[in-house]
Amino acid sequence: MLDYSLSTLWHNLLAQLSFAPDQPLMFSSGLFWVLFLLFLPVYALVKSKRKQMLMFVTAFSLLCFYKSSGWHLLLMVATGVIDWMLARRIAASASVSVRRLFLILSITCSLGILLAFKYGNFILLNVDVIIGRNFQPLDIVLPVGISFYTFRTISYVVDVYKRKLQPTDSLLEYLFFISFFPCMIAGPIVRATELFPQIRANKPATRSMIYGGLWLILLGVLKKAVVADYVGQYVTIAFGNPVGYSGLELLMALLGYSVQLYCDFSGYSDMAIGIASVMGFRLPINFDFPYRSLNFTEFWRRWHITLSSWLRDYVYISLGGNRHGKARQYLNLMVTMLVGGLWHGAAWTFVIWGACHGLALCVHKACKPWLSRLPEAGWVRFVSWLVTFATITLLWALFRADSLHSALEIYKGVFTRFDIAYLPVFAHVRNTWCIVMVLAFALHFLPQDIWSQFRRRFIRSRWWVKLVALIMVVQLVLQFANADIQPLIYAQF
Amino acid sequence: MKKYRGLIGILASGLLIFVSLSFVPGGIDLGFATLNTPSFAETLFGRPKEVKSDQGTPSPADASGAATPAPTGVKPRQAPMDTTAKTILFFGDSMLEGLGPRLAAYAQENGHTLVNVIWYSSTSEVWGNSTRLKQHLDEVRPNYVFISLGGNELFVSDIKRKRQKYVDTILQQIGDIPYVWIGPPNWKPDTGINDMLQESCRPGCFFLSNGQHFDRAKDGAHPTRKSAAAWCDRICKWVMTQSAHPIRLNPPVAEKGKCRTIMYSPQR
Repeated sequence: MLDYSLSTLWHNLLAQLSFAPDQPLMFSSGLFWVLFLLFLPVYALVKSKRKQMLMFVTAFSLLCFYKSSGWHLLLMVATGVIDWMLARRIAASASVSVRRLFLILSITCSLGILLAFKYGNFILLNVDVIIGRNFQPLDIVLPVGISFYTFRTISYVVDVYKRKLQPTDSLLEYLFFISFFPCMIAGPIVRATELFPQIRANKPATRSMIYGGLWLILLGVLKKAVVADYVGQYVTIAFGNPVGYSGLELLMALLGYSVQLYCDFSGYSDMAIGIASVMGFRLPINFDFPYRSLNFTEFWRRWHITLSSWLRDYVYISLGGNRHGKARQYLNLMVTMLVGGLWHGAAWTFVIWGACHGLALCVHKACKPWLSRLPEAGWVRFVSWLVTFATITLLWALFRADSLHSALEIYKGVFTRFDIAYLPVFAHVRNTWCIVMVLAFALHFLPQDIWSQFRRRFIRSRWWVKLVALIMVVQLVLQFANADIQPLIYAQF
Repeated sequence: MKKYRGLIGILASGLLIFVSLSFVPGGIDLGFATLNTPSFAETLFGRPKEVKSDQGTPSPADASGAATPAPTGVKPRQAPMDTTAKTILFFGDSMLEGLGPRLAAYAQENGHTLVNVIWYSSTSEVWGNSTRLKQHLDEVRPNYVFISLGGNELFVSDIKRKRQKYVDTILQQIGDIPYVWIGPPNWKPDTGINDMLQESCRPGCFFLSNGQHFDRAKDGAHPTRKSAAAWCDRICKWVMTQSAHPIRLNPPVAEKGKCRTIMYSPQR
C-alpha cells in the first residue's frame, strides 16, 4: 500500500539519506543515480570555477561517505588534515632525519587507523590463540573504502618525501583528492601525481569524455549488477556447503567465482572511471582483460593495476626490488604479495592466497630464461594460458572461502568427486547460469579493437540510441535482480 | 553547462520512465514474460514500517541441550491445549524426509491423522505460485497444518521483496487453520528468510530452528535421520508447551511411524 502524503515522502527521503551501514551507497543503486542526476546540473554550472567546483564535489563526496560510513567521515577528514600538514612539513624541512620522522609519523597514523579498524579483531583473535586468553571480538564498523583512501594518502606523503611531488597548499584540494567519490568505495587507487595536475588544469569535459564515461558506466552496471550478482548466487550456495556438491559443481563454482570477482570488481572500477570521465577527470584503468594472461607476472599487470603498481612502487621497490640479487628479489616479491593478500582482507586465507601468488611470481621469474626459449607457437600460448588460468582459478578458493577448512573441502571435492558425466545434467538444470558464464568468457576474449569500436560508435550515436541502451541495461538489471538460483538440495537419505 | 545537457536529458528521461513504471505493482505482463519494475514508488511512498510490539517467537524447547536462541519480543498468549484428534497436513521441502516419519510416530501415538506432502527442492515461491496447496487443503481438510519451507531460500538476496508475497499467499490459503511454520535448519547464516517468516507468521506459529545443533548428513545441509528426529521432538514439545495452538503431541514409543505421503519431483 502506498501513501502519497508529504510526511511519508519526507520520512522516506530522510531514511534514504541517513547512514545505513548495511546499505552503502553503491554506484549500481537507484539512489546513487538519483543523487548523481541532481549533482550533475550544479556541477556543470560550477565546473569552470575551480574553487566552487572543489567545494561542491568535496561536499558531495562527504555526503556519499556519510551515507555509507556515518560519522567515520570525521576520521577520514582528520587523517586528511594530519597528512596534509605533515606533507607540508616534510617538504619544508631540509633535514633528512626530520623529514623521515614526519614520514614515519604520517604512515604510522594512517596504517594505525587501518590496523585498528580492519585488522583489530584479526590481531586480537590471533593473540587469543597464542596466549590463550578469552578475548571477545570488538564490535567494529569498518569505514567504507578505508583501505583505498589509506593507500592514497600514503602514496601522497611518500611522493612528497621522495620529492616527486610538491605538496598542495590547499587543504580543500587535498580533501577533494582523498574523498573523491568516484574512487571512494573500491578504487581505482588514484595517486596525487595523476589527479592534482587535472584538478589544477580544470579542463572542461569533452563530448568524448562525457559519453565515453556513460559507455563505461553502462558496461560496469552490466558487469556488476547483471553478471556478477547473478553468477554469484550459485557461488554463494556452493561455497556455503561444499560437502553437499559434486566435484564438477564445485569446479563450476570456482569458475563462477573467477567471473563473479572479475565482473564485480572491474565493473565497479568501470563505473568509477566512467563517472570521473563524465566529470572531466581521467582515472587510470584498473583491469585490462586479466584472464587473457599467459603467466602470473602478466596477470598482475592486468589485474587491479592501480593496486599492483602501488605495491610495486611503495613496497617492492622500497624493499630493494631486484637490485640485490635473485634471492633478495624473491624475498621482496613474497613480502609484497603477502602485504597484497592481507590488504584484501583480515584472515589467514588471504595471507595464504597472497603467499601462493608470491610463490607463483617467483617460479615464473626463476623459469623465465627457460620459458623464453620456447617457440612462439599457438599451442605453447594455449598451454601457458591454461596453466595460468587454472592456477589463478584454484587459488580463488582461498580468496572466497570463509575458512581454510572450507577452501580445503572445495579442493577435496574438485579432485576426488569430479565426474564429467554430470556436465550435461548441470548444463540442463542451470542453463541460464551456463549461458551467462559462456557469454562472459566470450566477451572477455573479444579483441580489444572491437571493444574500442563499440565505444566509438556509442559516443557518436544519436541521443535516443543512448537512451535505449540505458533503458535496456537498467531493465536487464531489474530482470536479473529477480532471477534466483536454487540450491536444489533434496533427498540425501 | 551546454555539454552536459544531452547527458542530463538522457539520465532524466531514463529516470522518469523507470519512476513511472515503478507505480505498476508486480511488473508488466507481456504474455510471454513479465517485465520487472523498479521499487522507486515503494521507496518513496511506502508506509514506514511499524515495529510490532506483540510479535515474537518463543524460543524452541531445548530437549537435547541444543543451543536455544534467545526469545524475541513478548510471548504470545497461549490457548489451552486442544486434546482432540487432529487431521494434520504437513507440507514443505525435502526436510520432511527427516521430520515426516517422526511426526507420523507422534500422530499415531496421539490419535491424529497425518498427511505428508514433500515437494523436493521447493520454496515459498514454488508453493505460492502453484495450486497444489489449495488442492491438498481441499482434499485433506486439515484442522492443523505444519509447514517446513525455507531451506532452499537461505541465500536469496533481497528476500523480502522477492518472497514476502509468496509467504503471504501460503498463509492466506491456510487461513484460520492453526499452523506451525518450522524454520529451516541453517547450515550457514541466511539472508533474511528466518526474520521474514518470523514477521509474517502469527505470534506463536513460527518455530525458529536456526541456532540449534544439528548433525548433518553427507550433503552438509540436511540433518541426519537421528538429528531430524531430535529436531522433531523439540518442535513437538514446543507445540505443546509454547505455541499459540497447543495440541496433544506426547512422545511416542516408536521411533518412526507411517502415514500417507505424497511426493513431488523438483520443479525445473
